[in-house]
Order: sequence, then C-alpha cells, then structure tokens
Amino acid sequence: MGFQKFARGTAAMALVMGAATAAQAEPLKIALVETLSGPQASTGLLYRDAVKYQIGKINEAGGFGGEPIELLEFDNQGGPVGAADRVRAAISEGADVILQGSSSAVAGQVTEDVRKYNLRNAGDEVLYINLGGEAMELTGSKCHYYHFRTSPNAAIRVNTLLDGMKEAGVLGDNVYAMNQNYSWGVDVQDNTVAAADRLGFTVVEQTLHDVNKIQDFSPYVQRIQAADADTVITGNWSNDLLLLMKAASGAGLDVRFGTAFLDQPGNIGNAGAVAEGHFLSAPFNAQVNPEETSAFMEDYKSVTGHYPSYVEPTTVFGLMLLGEALKSVEPTEDGLNAADLAVALENATAETPMGPISMRADDHQIIQPMIVQEVSKDAQYKADDTEYGFVPIKVISAADAEQPVQDSCKMKRPG
Amino acid sequence: MDQILFALLNGTIYGLLLFMVSAGLTLIFGMMGVLNFAHASFYMLGAYFAYTLQPLTGFWLAIILAPILVMGVGILVERFILRHVHEHGHAHELLVTFGLSVVIAEMIKMVYGKFAVDYRVPAELNFAAFSLSGIDYPFYRLFMGGIAVVMFIAIYLLLTKTRVGIVVRSAIYRPQMVEALGHNVPMVFMGVFGIGAALAGLAGAVAGAFYTTNPNMALELGVMVFVVVVVGGLGSMGGAMAASLLIGITNSLAVGSDFRIADLLTWIGMGGWAEEIGGLLTMRMSSLAATLPFFIMLLVLVLRPSGLMGEKE
Repeated sequence: MGFQKFARGTAAMALVMGAATAAQAEPLKIALVETLSGPQASTGLLYRDAVKYQIGKINEAGGFGGEPIELLEFDNQGGPVGAADRVRAAISEGADVILQGSSSAVAGQVTEDVRKYNLRNAGDEVLYINLGGEAMELTGSKCHYYHFRTSPNAAIRVNTLLDGMKEAGVLGDNVYAMNQNYSWGVDVQDNTVAAADRLGFTVVEQTLHDVNKIQDFSPYVQRIQAADADTVITGNWSNDLLLLMKAASGAGLDVRFGTAFLDQPGNIGNAGAVAEGHFLSAPFNAQVNPEETSAFMEDYKSVTGHYPSYVEPTTVFGLMLLGEALKSVEPTEDGLNAADLAVALENATAETPMGPISMRADDHQIIQPMIVQEVSKDAQYKADDTEYGFVPIKVISAADAEQPVQDSCKMKRPG
Repeated sequence: MDQILFALLNGTIYGLLLFMVSAGLTLIFGMMGVLNFAHASFYMLGAYFAYTLQPLTGFWLAIILAPILVMGVGILVERFILRHVHEHGHAHELLVTFGLSVVIAEMIKMVYGKFAVDYRVPAELNFAAFSLSGIDYPFYRLFMGGIAVVMFIAIYLLLTKTRVGIVVRSAIYRPQMVEALGHNVPMVFMGVFGIGAALAGLAGAVAGAFYTTNPNMALELGVMVFVVVVVGGLGSMGGAMAASLLIGITNSLAVGSDFRIADLLTWIGMGGWAEEIGGLLTMRMSSLAATLPFFIMLLVLVLRPSGLMGEKE
C-alpha cells in the first residue's frame, strides 16, 4: 500500500510540475475502482493493465484539453462495501469518471452510488463506465443516464454463442443450463431458455449453484449425464468453470461446453486437452482482421509485457470510445462537464481492430462485434503456453450481435 | 439406483479429502491446543511444491517429497514463531497463524502468478476405474480416497499402539510430568505440528492435481475444514472422519436432489400457501447444497457444542 501511495504521489507530482508550464485548466481525473488486492485481484489487475495502456495512448495523443489525463487507482478489495467507500473517496479526490469492471455485484453497488450522488449534486455529476459487469439489470432496471457499459451483457453473450454453435452444427438438441446463483448466472440461464424456441433446442435442465464454493462438481456432472445433454451452456468463470469441465471430462462425458469466460488466463493451461472443442463467445479474437489485430497485440505486449486477453481487449476498446468522445468535449474551468461527456459518448464511434463500435443511447449498452470461437490446436496465438488457443468460428457484426433494449430501463435524460 | 450409488461414492471420496486436510488441524488442536488458521495454507503449499517438483522428479517422488518439505516449513513455523506466541494465549496464536496464511498466499502469488497453474493428474493415472450406466469413474478419485484411508489407519495405530503415541498423548494432559520423566515435550509438540502440516501437504499434493492448484485454494478449502473440525469435535480424530464423511455425503446427495420445502408442505395441504410465499420454501435443495455444511455446523453447535465426538467444550 505504502509503495502504491508513494508511486501515485510521485506520478501526481510529475503531472503537477508538467502542468505548471501548460494551461491553467484542471486535468481530467479518471478513477479506477477495482479489486487490486486479495483473492479476487487477478481480474482487477488485468483491468488496471488495460486501463493504463489506453489512458497512456490518449495522453500520448494530447490528453484532454491540452493536459494529460490523471489516472487514480482505488482498491475496492473485492466487495460492494469496499467499492462504495472507494467510490466516495474517488469523487472527493475530484474524479469525473469512474471505471470499474469485475463482478456484477460490485457494479450494481457502484452504479447505484453514482446515480444517487448525481441526484444530490446536479451540475457536478460523475460518470460511471462499467467495463465488465454483465448482468442485465445494469442496463435494465438499474440503468441511468450516467452509466455506460463497454462490455457485452448476458443476452449478447448467450445469443451470439448459441447462434454461432448452431451454425457450426455443434449445438445439438438437448441443452443443459448450468450457472452460478447470482444476477449474472440467472441472466445467462434466462437467456438460454428464451432462445430455445428460436433455435429449436430443448433446455433439458437448469441448475443454479453456489458461487466459487464447490470443490467437487461430480454430482452435477451426474445430473448432466442423467439429463442426456449434448451441450452445456454456462456463464461460470474461474474455478467454477475449470472444475466443472474437469469433472465432466473425468467422468468421460461427451458434452460440449458453450462458455462466456473460457479465455480467462490460466484456464486453458490448467484444463489442457480437456478444453479442446469447447466454445466461447467474446468481443475479441486475435485471428480476426490479422493485420490490425496483430499490430494491436504486439503494441500491447511491448507496453504491458503480455498479450491482451480476457477482459483486456474489451476494456481497451471501451476506452477508445471514451477517447473519441473526449475529442468532441470542450473542457470547462473546473475540468469537465460530465453531462457533455455523456452526450458525446452517445454519439461517438470508435474503430477497433474488431470493427466499429458505438454506444446505444437508449440504455447505454455498447454495440460491438462478437466472435464465436473454439478451443483448438490450430490457433495462431496459443493460450497459457499450451498448444491450444482460440480459433474464430464466426464473426458476428455489431448490428447482428445487438439485443433489444429492455423494457425495464426507464432512463431519465437531463433537461 | 446407479444415481444414488454414484452420489454416495462421490460424497465419500470428497469427505475423505476433507478428512486428509482436517486430520492435521484436529491433531494439532488436540495435542497442542493451537487453532491453526494457516493450516489450509499448508495444503496449498503441498500442491505447489508437488507442482514444482513434478518435472524434476516425476509425479510419484513429487507427492512424497512435497509433504516432507511442508513438514519442514511446519517445523520452522512452530519452532520460530508459534513457540514464542504460545504463552500469550489463543488470541495471539490465532492472529499469528492468520497473518501467516495471508503471507503464504501472497508469496505464492509472487512466485507462481495469480492464476491457476497447470498441475494435472499424470497420464498413467488418468483412466476410468469402472463405468456405470454411461458414466466413467476416474481411477484417481479412488486413489485419493485410498490414501486418506491409509492415512487414517496409520495415525490411529501410531497414536494408540506405539510408545511415541503414548508420550504424545500424555504430553497433552500432563506436560510437566512427562517432562519430569525425561521426555522433551517441546520437541514432541514440534513433531506433532510438523506431521500435521505434512498431512495437509500430502492432501494438497494429491488433490491439487485433480482439482485446481491456484492461489485461492487455501481459502476455498479452509472454511470447510474448520466446519469439519467443529462438527467432529475439536481434537477428535474419529470425529473429524465422521464429520468429513457426513458433510461430503450430504453435499453430494443434496446436489442431486430437487427437493423443496414446499413439496413437504403439500403433504399437509399447505403446498399452495408455500408456493405463494416462495423464497426459501420453494428453493431447490440443489442450489442450497454448499450451504448445508454450515447448517449442520449450526445444528451441532446448538445441540452438542462439543461436536459429534469431542470431549472439550
């Protein structure tokens, strides 16, 4: 902690000294409120790498209002309580934009806190950019004008995944929905069931289980077998995904997994051959548009020391959109007017290596291409130093990946 | 029928794994009165040591050497940390071991990275033991269960049938008298702590390959191990075995069951009312499975605070 503070202090000092010679306007402050320590920190640190990378790019191109953007880091320690506290700290330190990604539970807290703060402080609003909380309610019943999601949501993940698997002829007739028992898992399950008629499959069984508490998945595998499933659609991540796949493979079960988070670092390394043939739907694949993508991959590696994976590309793309929006916003005396930035974000488009992305004004859900991919030995970029990687099966354009705005989103626009 | 047979078998094996880790914890508590918060960290160390050794020595030697290394760590911890804190009482011991568990977890992250490592069951052990109505049963599961059973028998015989066992057991009740008889009691305690750590290390080395070896594994299992020890009775080896099996089997059966409290109420004609209320009444047993051990612990603490077979309150 001490070192972080020190590093932050030095960075701030350098910025102040740099700023003294430039214009008088306050620099734009962006706060990353992530899980930077503790057991769940692995994903939070990936968000930090990606955010640092792209804010660095924006600053190289001139920052905002002639000043480099100042990035503040806050450790929410993995839970909604810590996040609520850190969001307050970030705002009192003058942050105009809050970035957060891991866990829909934390995102739910942050978005509510930001909404309430904005209600009480009209004219001095802050913006929340949700980098990865994918539960439906965040752009549904909890949606509000100052929340923007730059990752896909459950409906986008599940529908693109099912479409891609159906088209590749691997979906089968009997689908088992196995998910974690919280907002995100329930959303994945609901969307799987909802797509059954459209794609002509039967959901043979649905199971919700505790999050990251189960060591032994063999009883669940038994249920999959008893239900005679061809495919398991799961939103599970981390250990819940790994242990489920390993238990299924250990039992010699012949099912294919359709997943949302199989590309998390360590998964392929740990599962090895067990993961082969399983599917993933994600907003990035290293083999799509090879020229632009490999330039991005190599540049990212030269800055951060590793290839971008999992949440990193999406985060970078989301911040590219933020960068585009900032170009069309005029700095005010005290930095930035969040309402101006919100309008600019709604109208911005960014050109990413995967294709153009934009922000839907109705519910502030990003509209971006999705890539359905399969774990295979033929992949160009291997994951976790194994012989396996992700091969694109189908690229779904931003327009085709789009899912309808939820009725529950009643967004109140200012003015 | 096959379903229930599988569920029982799975539950038993999972229970035996829990026993392997909790055996050391309950042994240390029984002998020394130390509630070791860092015990599950020894489990994690065992897995990581075996993962590191495997490429150099092969799997078999790795799962033998890893527990010995963990025993070394355990002995150092007892000799240079716990012994100094012991006289200050339980609160200090708890705090020190808690701190230790955090330090070990962070060190593992620094050395091996934040994500799961590719420690896997070796190919020669990765086959199906038998197959029942279309489901293979992995041989490695039986292997893990077998090791736990051998361990239980060995500890039991060591404590009840050998001279070492007599000295160890008497050192718990009358340490001064045993010392007066010329036995080195601090040495005995150090040995017990080392062996307790080694047992957890062995469990980690064996189970880490089957489940996942990651920096969170101590946390994931740690809570469950404490539940086992509390339910079984602090310090009771037989109790730990019984509680492990109880928790493993109820867990496994609950996952496979669609039972809801509402169904039970239908029998007495209150089904409609229960459906209306919803909430806990219409929750399926399968989604509560991981909560059951804590419910069992609650019941045991209310009805029999010393645990199933415990003697100490």
